[in-house]
Amino acid sequence: MIAIGECLQIISSRVRTAIEERDKGFIQDLVKRQVDKGANMLDLNIGPQKKAGPEVMEWLVNTVQEVVDVPLSLDTTNPEAIKTGLKVCKQKPMINSTNADPERMGVLFPLAASHDCNIIALTLRVTGLPVTAEARVDIVFEDLMPAIEQYGVPLENVYIDPLVLTVDGTQEHAPEVVKAVRPFRQLTDPPLHTICGLSNISSGAPPDVRPILNRIYLVMLMGAGLDSAILDPFDDEIMEAIRIIESRDDSTAKGKVYLALYDAYAADEEFDPSIIDTSDPEQSDILKTIRVLEGKTLYAHGYLRL
Amino acid sequence: MAAVEVPTEKWTGKVHEVTLGGNGRKSVVVGGESTLPFLHFEGSLPHRPIIAIEVQDSEPKDWSPHLVGAWGDVLADPAAWAKKAVEYGADIIALSLKSAHPEEANTGADEARKNVDKVLSAVDIPLIIYGPGVAEKDNEVLVAASEVAKGQRVALGNCEEKNHRTIAATCIADGHVAIAHTPLEINLAKQLNILLCDVGLSPDSIIMDPDTGALGYGVEYTYSVIERLRIAALGGDSMAAMPMISPAGAESWRQKESRVAEGVPPSWGEHEERSLIWEEITASIVLNAGADIVVLRHPKTVEVIKATIDKLMSA
Repeated sequence: MIAIGECLQIISSRVRTAIEERDKGFIQDLVKRQVDKGANMLDLNIGPQKKAGPEVMEWLVNTVQEVVDVPLSLDTTNPEAIKTGLKVCKQKPMINSTNADPERMGVLFPLAASHDCNIIALTLRVTGLPVTAEARVDIVFEDLMPAIEQYGVPLENVYIDPLVLTVDGTQEHAPEVVKAVRPFRQLTDPPLHTICGLSNISSGAPPDVRPILNRIYLVMLMGAGLDSAILDPFDDEIMEAIRIIESRDDSTAKGKVYLALYDAYAADEEFDPSIIDTSDPEQSDILKTIRVLEGKTLYAHGYLRL
Repeated sequence: MAAVEVPTEKWTGKVHEVTLGGNGRKSVVVGGESTLPFLHFEGSLPHRPIIAIEVQDSEPKDWSPHLVGAWGDVLADPAAWAKKAVEYGADIIALSLKSAHPEEANTGADEARKNVDKVLSAVDIPLIIYGPGVAEKDNEVLVAASEVAKGQRVALGNCEEKNHRTIAATCIADGHVAIAHTPLEINLAKQLNILLCDVGLSPDSIIMDPDTGALGYGVEYTYSVIERLRIAALGGDSMAAMPMISPAGAESWRQKESRVAEGVPPSWGEHEERSLIWEEITASIVLNAGADIVVLRHPKTVEVIKATIDKLMSA
């Protein structure tokens, strides 16, 4: 599992200020701490940066590489900034991201091919959001794959992002995204990688339910075959969930539940809730969260209180 | 010829039953469904959807001449209006304390007590009481109305997230039902139910109003929201299992097709007929989606919708 640290993002006002003021200390501290927490790649989200994109990206990549030694994900809609960033990255970088818009694919896939770097491709057409898993798979088949072949991007460099949406308001997408991951992995040989912006699932949800939504969703997605995610490495429980799954640590009740959930999704079977001891509040919360993410109970901010 | 087996869904949940009235007053029960609307072959629909007729506490100034013509002089007197509404077939009265609105007469608790008392004495069917739709005034007049109607089990609305504690508390104290209103979104509807139950209001004292858009103004979203809430309820989600109400009348009479008589294409047809069709279609759509109560304005619509419900319930 590639855990990509999400914390260097322009939406954070402190990050924005640090980038504006070229505050190396703040940036370097933030990326060091993410790597210490277990991030094995870092997302550098600089926003659209219409004017200063290349300059900002170059400064940021160099600043980050002075203190950490992990690959970087160059996250901006400005292709010039990406181009500049690719030149200064020491390790194989990730382009974040293209969608299925022919114009954007025509710029970014050739870049990915000529630099032999990774690229995230969203299952999103300019004509609207796909709801079902099938619609997401169709976009990979009909739009992304032909362009990937046309521009000669090696399949092992492609990370398909099925587009995680918020469970609050667009709950019907949550199980469909999970369902889409498996066919993505079966389409090609070698299989395409899969990735998602995990925290998006809980965007808009209150702080007390966000972490559990994020980590249970991650376990389900990993079971379905997801092999990378942009996430919050400062959330110890998420990193612990990854550790439990990867080391198959069933020494705790929580570990047993995570592994049972993971295994059910890996086998493409219905999760059997009978292994959950609902008298244990922690396990009971996990079950409620699974039911919400599977679309079996309606999401509401207070769903854990029921 | 081989018999056709109609496939049926096995639902695990059921809509909560909510009683209004009683205690000397006639009572009605809404809810209790164990299947989607009017699928009698699949499950039980123990209570027919009911019709509330809207009555305002002061003479409406902005109503269509076709509504004013249909009701006549009673519009000036809520008690007479309510009596007339009973004659026209109302199952319940939806009394709107519109005069409390700061942009209307800005009346207060005393006027609310007086009007609620008048209407309670004039008719023996249950009441819904609506505030003017401005949070602080709603609290003032609805709490006053609640005290006057104590024991008569009326419904008080709207109860929204920002005033839910006050409305829940007064419902608990005086034995009433809260109308939980949320803006056209299923997750918010469920969340408000959770909040109300957290404060101690019983699930059988809540009716949901998940918002209504009239025909041409989002009725398809309304349909989807009502239907999805009902499917969640039947799937066993007890916090989505409250009966639902729709103010189909007020919403359709607000729209251009009902308001404007002049300067519209001739293909729009005759104004009165068009206005009535707008209300009838909006109401029958929400009923088919799963609404348990429709609040209507025109006596003719009441007649048509009543006949529609008769047919749907006897099918």
